[in-house]
Amino acid sequence: MRLNSLTRRGLLAASAALAGTSSAHAEAARLRLYWWGATDRAERTNKTSALYMQQHPDIAIVGETVGWGDYWTRLATQAAGRNLPDLIQMDYGYIYEYARRKALLPLDGFVGKQLDLSGFTPSSIEGGKVDGKIYGISLGLNSTSLVYDREAFAKFGIGPLEWPVTWAEFARRAAAFTKAANKPGYFASSDAGGSGPALDVWLAERGKLMFTADGKFGGDAADMSEWFSYWQDMRVAGGCVPPDAQALDKADIDSSMLTLGKAAVAWANSNQLVGYQALNKAKLDLAMYPAGAPGTKSGQYLKPSQLMSLASTTKSPDEAAKLLSFFVADVEAGKILSVERGIPGSKAVRTAIDPNLDPLGKRMSSYIAEISDRVRDLPPPPPKGAGEVLAMLLRTNETVGFKRATTADAAKSFVREVGEILARA
Amino acid sequence: MFAHAALCTASLVMLYPLLWMLASSFRDNADIFTSLSLIPAKFDLAAYARGWRGLHTGFGRFFINSTVISLLAVIGNLLSCSLAAFAVTRLKFRGRDLCFAMMLGTMMIPYQVTLIPQYILFLHLDWVGTILPLVVPKFLAVDAFFIFLMVQFFRGIPKELDEAAVMDGCSAWRIYWNIMLPLSLPVLGTVGVFTFIFAWDDFFGPLIYLTDVEQFTVQLGLRGFLDAGGTSDWAAMFAMAVLTLVPVLLLFVFFQRSLIQGIATTGLK
Amino acid sequence: MMRPAAGHWFLLPWFLGFFGLTLGPALASLVLSFTAYDLIEPPRWVGVANYVRIVTADSKLAESVRITLLYVVLSVPFKLGFALAVAMVLNRGIAGLSVYRALFYLPSLLGASVAVAVLWRQVFSGDGLLHQALLLVGIHSPSFVSDPDYAIYTLVALSVWQFGSPMIIFLAGLRQIPRDVYEAASLDGARRFQQFWRITLPLLTPVLFFNLVVQTIDAFKAFTPAFIISGGTGGPINSTLFYTLYLYQEAFGYFRMGYAAALAWLLVLAIAAVTATAFLTARRWVHYEA
Repeated sequence: MRLNSLTRRGLLAASAALAGTSSAHAEAARLRLYWWGATDRAERTNKTSALYMQQHPDIAIVGETVGWGDYWTRLATQAAGRNLPDLIQMDYGYIYEYARRKALLPLDGFVGKQLDLSGFTPSSIEGGKVDGKIYGISLGLNSTSLVYDREAFAKFGIGPLEWPVTWAEFARRAAAFTKAANKPGYFASSDAGGSGPALDVWLAERGKLMFTADGKFGGDAADMSEWFSYWQDMRVAGGCVPPDAQALDKADIDSSMLTLGKAAVAWANSNQLVGYQALNKAKLDLAMYPAGAPGTKSGQYLKPSQLMSLASTTKSPDEAAKLLSFFVADVEAGKILSVERGIPGSKAVRTAIDPNLDPLGKRMSSYIAEISDRVRDLPPPPPKGAGEVLAMLLRTNETVGFKRATTADAAKSFVREVGEILARA
Repeated sequence: MFAHAALCTASLVMLYPLLWMLASSFRDNADIFTSLSLIPAKFDLAAYARGWRGLHTGFGRFFINSTVISLLAVIGNLLSCSLAAFAVTRLKFRGRDLCFAMMLGTMMIPYQVTLIPQYILFLHLDWVGTILPLVVPKFLAVDAFFIFLMVQFFRGIPKELDEAAVMDGCSAWRIYWNIMLPLSLPVLGTVGVFTFIFAWDDFFGPLIYLTDVEQFTVQLGLRGFLDAGGTSDWAAMFAMAVLTLVPVLLLFVFFQRSLIQGIATTGLK
Repeated sequence: MMRPAAGHWFLLPWFLGFFGLTLGPALASLVLSFTAYDLIEPPRWVGVANYVRIVTADSKLAESVRITLLYVVLSVPFKLGFALAVAMVLNRGIAGLSVYRALFYLPSLLGASVAVAVLWRQVFSGDGLLHQALLLVGIHSPSFVSDPDYAIYTLVALSVWQFGSPMIIFLAGLRQIPRDVYEAASLDGARRFQQFWRITLPLLTPVLFFNLVVQTIDAFKAFTPAFIISGGTGGPINSTLFYTLYLYQEAFGYFRMGYAAALAWLLVLAIAAVTATAFLTARRWVHYEA
């Protein structure tokens, strides 16, 4: 063991030298803040942390950041080790998993005290609730959105995708677009038959829920058969990309059909406009997902693009809640963070930053404003196993696309397997 | 001559990715995913400037961190793995074959399932957030790959050599240090270079164990430019990816000169 | 012979590492394989339920096993054959050897970086480089990387392309063959091909054996290529769902670490059986000492 402790001491010294930092003065709390994102977000987040530390010299904030793909493996590992960061950037699709397993701290007790949510509408707080309690505060609102090459649509005489474009109308226009563009390997839309959010919107517009309040899948084999047929017809008509192109799409912006120059429409989220624009030359715009019967509400809803949660294991819950409040409700912090994570939930922050937004930020903001009256209420939180169901959907749509199964058979096996997944979870 | 021509052709296939990365690093982000050409439209070094600034820490810091970790890993592996390999090939003791089997056995377990228990272990040692989980194991011969590699080479060194040395009254340490190691320079060089590269390329270990951006390695830094669902700076990523290849490539060329050639002429006697 | 106790001193670092760092986590994962463990709440003992499900009720697993075996059987021989051939050529003392060696190792340096994922897409997709090259000779090829019939072969190609590490090891092995062995042989007028079969290859068997065992183990455990190229899905339609990728999805995607641990230990058993077979046959074809 002597060798062990010897090397350890030496290496500790080396690593301390490596870190090159010394924190000498007394700290009331040392808070770890964890988020996913890239350079721009890191700069904004670090600046906001620095501002907070300037105002609260007794607080030390340590930022931890990695990319989306690696974020959850690391978070799960930290959770298993009971070593979660104090503040955790959360995703709307993951918050249930962590809240229900008691990894997150209910925030209701802080509201109105450490946590200032006075500028938030009740509906924007709703998105952070799981089973009746608040587990995360929205860092930005978004909604599903088509991100598309609006000028190409105009150029080929198809016209912009202004609400409401029904599903049938969308298919018709998509086929016409591809025909008019007349460029090999270039299609109107990507294939969203395997996309959970697209199916969610489509089902809602048929008066159904993808996941019901009691944790069941809300569609049946007939719905699914129709859904898979819709996309099969799209493929045949040339409205969307063929399956071997779509299979390149890994749900990343860089592998999306729009970015790869194979389609003019991506099925995405409104806050991703900046990310898409950065990798595309064409001027991109936002449009709502297709609509149901005339006069009905859209199946879309406003949701937090990201949330901030506190770990249930945090040693300084009060200090962590104050910092959380700073991130979501402070006007000066909001000016630094801007709309990079989505449209802020606090009205005061929105008012303060709106005049200084760049064109893309303005567009994201106006999109949220214009769809607010058209969208439905937030659906019930998805059950455990929802993530596996979405993976199944992607795969089943591929079996139809690659002609390994008929739409009817694919629908039947999908509904059966979803039942098994949800029963097991 | 034929061999030379074949090598040149093959080299192109091998070189393509580097040229392509280089070309991508000069492009605008909006051009990277639609262009197959190896010749960029312009030579714009902006991505290098952006990339070098890194995650407000600066990419230079990541280079230093990676170098320190990789060099420590090299020292650790060379010492600990050669000791273990020497014991397994040259010394007789009870349970020797069992030990060797255990070493190989550790290579077979997928790290995905030992990750969590190991993390908890390092957490209890209070090593998480330092480079210790990345470095200390190297001094304790956990890379069975390298033990096995050395074992295979040690077995090729004639036993008469150390038997003669034993006759002369040499201790096991002397044989290890004065006979085995000098005769094993090619494999030691190989182990050293591989260890450096594996540590340099390692992403998962640093991802799990390093917390502060100040401690990040180059691989973590590279991923820091990308956000799959948000805004990514691919050009900067490619620019820095090209730079991170430079030290390891240099190492390769250097390694060739200093180690292999000298040994080959000596041969084994 | 040397004093027996010395062996234990030499093994001390390894002992510390094995008992201090490796064994505990390995045993823990074995115990976890008998539990339901969602990573956050404490594990719950379920006996052999995970193993029973693997054997009786897991249809996805069969597919994943088939793909993994296909990958092992294709990638290992091609990679080793390629590595050995290149090492032989380089060993002839060609001018610019160091440059070639670095070049041939270059693909391995890129390893599992995201750059490789993008590169593979640009080379093997429907309008990629390979497609365009084949068009020149009149072949209309599919989108290899995203077609369920071909995707696995692009991963095999990636593995073969990254032949640098066995190549370097072969080279080191070739360098350790004493020159005088060849000199004696050339006096006999041995032809080059015979020289390879009678002298080089037998002397190289320890290294060949090493590469074979290590590459086979690695191929069974292959994870990152499929992970980066399929974006973690194992798609299209599970056509690249390597065993460990499936295991990873279970553990970290769907919070079933207990089940993943059971999968892992069955894999360990399979690899151990294959490795043991290799060691048993090795007595017949691996020649130590020059």
